[in-house]
Amino acid sequence: MTQNTAPATQGTRPTIEVNKLSKWYGNVVAVNDVTLNVYPGITGLLGPNGAGKTTLLHMMTGLVQPSEGDVTVLGEHVRDNPSLYRRIGVMAEHESVYQFLTGRELVTLAARLYGVPNVEQAVDKAVKAVNLTDAQFRKLGTYSRGMRQRMRLAATLVHDPDVLILDEPLNGTDPRQRLEYHELMRRMADEGKTILVSSHILEEVETLADRILLMVSGKLAASGDFRAIREMLDEQPYKVRVVTDSPRSMAAALVGLDAVDSVSIEKDGEITVLSRNIAVLQRSVAKLAKERGIRLKRVEPIDESLESVFSYVVER
Amino acid sequence: MDPILQLSIRQLSGKWRVTLIAVLAALPVALMLFIKLVAGEEIEFNADFINVTLSGMVIGAVLPIVLITLSTASLGNEVENRTLGFLITKPVPRYRIVLPKVLAAVVIGGSFIVASAVASTFIGGGSVQAAIAVAAGVAIGVIAYSTILTWAGLLTSRAIGFAIVYVLLWEGAISSFLGGARYVSVRAYVLSIMHELDKDSFAPLSDGVIEWPAAVVGAAAVIVVFFWLTVLRLRRMDVQ
Repeated sequence: MTQNTAPATQGTRPTIEVNKLSKWYGNVVAVNDVTLNVYPGITGLLGPNGAGKTTLLHMMTGLVQPSEGDVTVLGEHVRDNPSLYRRIGVMAEHESVYQFLTGRELVTLAARLYGVPNVEQAVDKAVKAVNLTDAQFRKLGTYSRGMRQRMRLAATLVHDPDVLILDEPLNGTDPRQRLEYHELMRRMADEGKTILVSSHILEEVETLADRILLMVSGKLAASGDFRAIREMLDEQPYKVRVVTDSPRSMAAALVGLDAVDSVSIEKDGEITVLSRNIAVLQRSVAKLAKERGIRLKRVEPIDESLESVFSYVVER
Repeated sequence: MDPILQLSIRQLSGKWRVTLIAVLAALPVALMLFIKLVAGEEIEFNADFINVTLSGMVIGAVLPIVLITLSTASLGNEVENRTLGFLITKPVPRYRIVLPKVLAAVVIGGSFIVASAVASTFIGGGSVQAAIAVAAGVAIGVIAYSTILTWAGLLTSRAIGFAIVYVLLWEGAISSFLGGARYVSVRAYVLSIMHELDKDSFAPLSDGVIEWPAAVVGAAAVIVVFFWLTVLRLRRMDVQ
């Protein structure tokens, strides 16, 4: 399945053009015939682990040779074209850092390799942007994972690139750091830059990206405006397990709720509820239990994993 | 200083690695000092010293082992530690990544080995000319080994095994016994250049050396070919 994003920026030339891109390792197909365009602004590349996001990003950034198809960034082929990296910032998911360098040394090294004219000034700005000024003289080996990610981001944007390609950049960061990250990305997007961010966490991309590319099993499953994709995802009923001391009474009460599609009582007395409105269901379960004097032991989602949600989209 | 050279020197200057190299480089010097102490008199620059200490120990063992320690790690560790992507995604031509990687091993390894070879030569009773010949030969050997082993480090995660087999089998055994194989042996290039620069001192090597122009061209070819192969590999490999 191949699709093009249909962005609000139609008519503008895409920054990244991916044409019939495939990558296979022996008999394993990692990316299968993907065609897409990425435009200025923030685009989220979403998909479960193993969907082929990283392989796709590696091909987009020239780290991996495609088996078939081609990629251009800013109109140029990216593979074996080092000078193009002056305009691109790449942060790969599994890339490590030189533990013996301080944070500042890493960013300085990147700035020098990018050929930044005023290195010290650019490094100060980048380190400040990721809010690590106080920790910049500490060795990277002493950083937490979140701090390392942020300092890597500083090294990725120290040359003020037009295009940022970030693979799971928020891994290991805490909620406050994520918020800062989002603000930084948003500022850069407002400056007209193209930012492609991958993630396997739906909510993370939801709050950050203007457009979504949804990958499942090496294929582009959907692309476009986030709301349209969210609606598709919301059509899938969620499965919730409810454990009480009175399953029959609780099941009878749940059947009457609008948010509930179906209720079944399992052999062990646990109730399985299918619902398309998980928030309403959660509120209602507690209220119903209180009204009827039922003791709630457990309320938990059974299959809210992204994999199942994505599979639903692909199977539609 | 070039940022990648600076980075590479720091990478390769880890405490255990430098200690190992220093110990290895000190072995020939210690041996010569011990002999001098036992002999209790001025020892002569003779065939035994040249064949055992210089050809056998310094050039046949210490030189390749030190370079295995350094050069296989030079780019190999970038792959293993998943830091190669950082360098690859910078606007730097691939040869400008390979060159400092080769040079870093040359600078660190070369300084220890050349110092060891020259010191051993003097302690063994060699002349200044002999020491210059040894320094020149060993320096060329360091560069040649460094390019071969940097390539091996990028090519395979088992570069140390490959390098040990290559040094023992090819450089140590085959090229010592097969005259033709000496034309593609770094050890033969080193000995031939030493012999050419000081024929009098290194007369005992005359049976095992090749013509000096062949040695110079051979060493240059090895350096150029393996440097180019490393650049090619870096351009074509997938970096995960």
